[in-house]
Amino acid sequence: MIGYLRLELMRGLRDPRYLVLALVAPVGFYLLFTNLFGAAQGAGANGLPAPVGAMVSMAMFGAMWAVLSATSPRIAQERSIGWLRQLRLLPVRAQSVLTARLLAAVVLAGPALVLVFVTAVIDHGVTLDAWRWVVLLALLWLGAAPIALLGIALGYATDADSAFTITYGLNLVLAALGGLWMPISVLPTGLQTIGKLLPSYQAANLGWHVVGGQAVEPSNVLALVAWAAVLSLLALFFAGRVARGR
Amino acid sequence: MIDLREQPAASGALAHDTEQRKRAAATATADDAVRLEALTKDFGSLRAVDHLDLTIRRGETVALLGPNGAGKTTTIAMLLGLLAPTSGTASVLGMPPTQAIQSGRVGAMLQEGSLMPGVRVGELLDYVLSLRSSPLRRAQLIATAGLTGLERRRIDRLSGGQTQRVRFALAIASAPELLVLDEPTAAMDVEARHDFWANMHTYASTGHTVLFATHYLEEAEAFASRVVIIAHGRVVADGSVAQLKRAFGGQTVRFRSAECQPPALERLAEVRAVEQDGDLVTLKTSDADATVRAVIASGIGWHDLEVRSASLDDVFMTLVDGSGDAGSRDNGGNR
Repeated sequence: MIGYLRLELMRGLRDPRYLVLALVAPVGFYLLFTNLFGAAQGAGANGLPAPVGAMVSMAMFGAMWAVLSATSPRIAQERSIGWLRQLRLLPVRAQSVLTARLLAAVVLAGPALVLVFVTAVIDHGVTLDAWRWVVLLALLWLGAAPIALLGIALGYATDADSAFTITYGLNLVLAALGGLWMPISVLPTGLQTIGKLLPSYQAANLGWHVVGGQAVEPSNVLALVAWAAVLSLLALFFAGRVARGR
Repeated sequence: MIDLREQPAASGALAHDTEQRKRAAATATADDAVRLEALTKDFGSLRAVDHLDLTIRRGETVALLGPNGAGKTTTIAMLLGLLAPTSGTASVLGMPPTQAIQSGRVGAMLQEGSLMPGVRVGELLDYVLSLRSSPLRRAQLIATAGLTGLERRRIDRLSGGQTQRVRFALAIASAPELLVLDEPTAAMDVEARHDFWANMHTYASTGHTVLFATHYLEEAEAFASRVVIIAHGRVVADGSVAQLKRAFGGQTVRFRSAECQPPALERLAEVRAVEQDGDLVTLKTSDADATVRAVIASGIGWHDLEVRSASLDDVFMTLVDGSGDAGSRDNGGNR
């Protein structure tokens, strides 16, 4: 499993879709929001100062695409080119490949989070207690795990042609409705209700509480655990369906 | 099924078949590399593989021949555990196929299938070498598969022939006792095919069992100790190339003669058919030695005598053209 994890990481670090869309883009958006619009708006998410609120939002945005790009489009491609079939002829268990893939996706979310944090510190002098940085990083990182499971499910549910488009579209929806692009309070009430259920919002809300000096809401953690459970079942269902040759 | 591996010839095909199965059941499975019993696969109403029986002993190099759609690829997919049979069983090295794959004792190379993109050749090889404590060393694997100088190349930037060599490397990385190849050279040019078979030959000569499907008859002729011909999902012939030629192709005796008549020639020993083109006489015979002796004894004038064996090509055409009939005659009782 460690061997396959290594391969997946090597591949991720050479993938322009990951490098540009998960690492560079969130930093760019962060700079754009906080220097052009954020300053004018005066306040970011949850009443936080824009540079701090947007730091959490854009870090989560980058982490989401990191885990999605490492799962869904790759799985769909590997299914179509026959690599997954080849893997079945090697002495390696399907479960350990799936676990390695999940771990690789989560690991790749790390640089996306840290890069946005570093940008916030350099550009806006954002300061937090050391332990808050650690808790923030840990919570957002873990918050990306359910999204990685979503990516695995999508990789088996879609095909090579549609995987990228569907996944990137879903990424944008999760970001916009989850309050990562703008405070969720500006959305219409109906969309707010939906948005607050999404794992993107649940994870980011944990982060906003940590940087705002508030206690985290246990309901956010519970919701993420529930998402992880539902999405693992979905991932197993779609992966199993493909393995059974349907 | 026509099994030529053991003499004497069967008195009745069906009886022979049953007897052979009894004999097969009595022998120890531990010596069998592959054992397929009444293997059947239906795709909807299409029967791709039809009660196929095949036993391959360790150390054999077996070619699976057949026209497109004969069921070669489906059979291989079932014996590798990629496809579940509709009925019948496949066992590999005395185990269910998936278990044999997991043990690292079986290596396989499929007809198509790209490799993991985005990684380097060396990285992928390191990974497969780490899976089972392989006795092969990295340098050895690279040399055997002909990948020298390509270790740092990205998988997605390899040519078709180079990709095929990496696929071969993956198949032999665990030094498997049984190697299964489905049309391994289909995408290769002549030179690459030559190199590939040279590598394969080295591998097989070290006591490994090799089963390969091909539609290049010359590959079967050059590398297989045993040829199994499949048509319509069944085995229609099984034996060494020489046995198959003797049984199905016959031989031809050709000479020039101005004086003889076909009716006289047809009565000569073992002659099956006579063709005459001007003074060129061609006799199709089941025993060239006997026919040549008869020609000499007949006292007719002849010159430029030439004896030729049938090619595997002739055998293949004979069997595959008439296979529908042969199949129903031999195995009709099993349906």
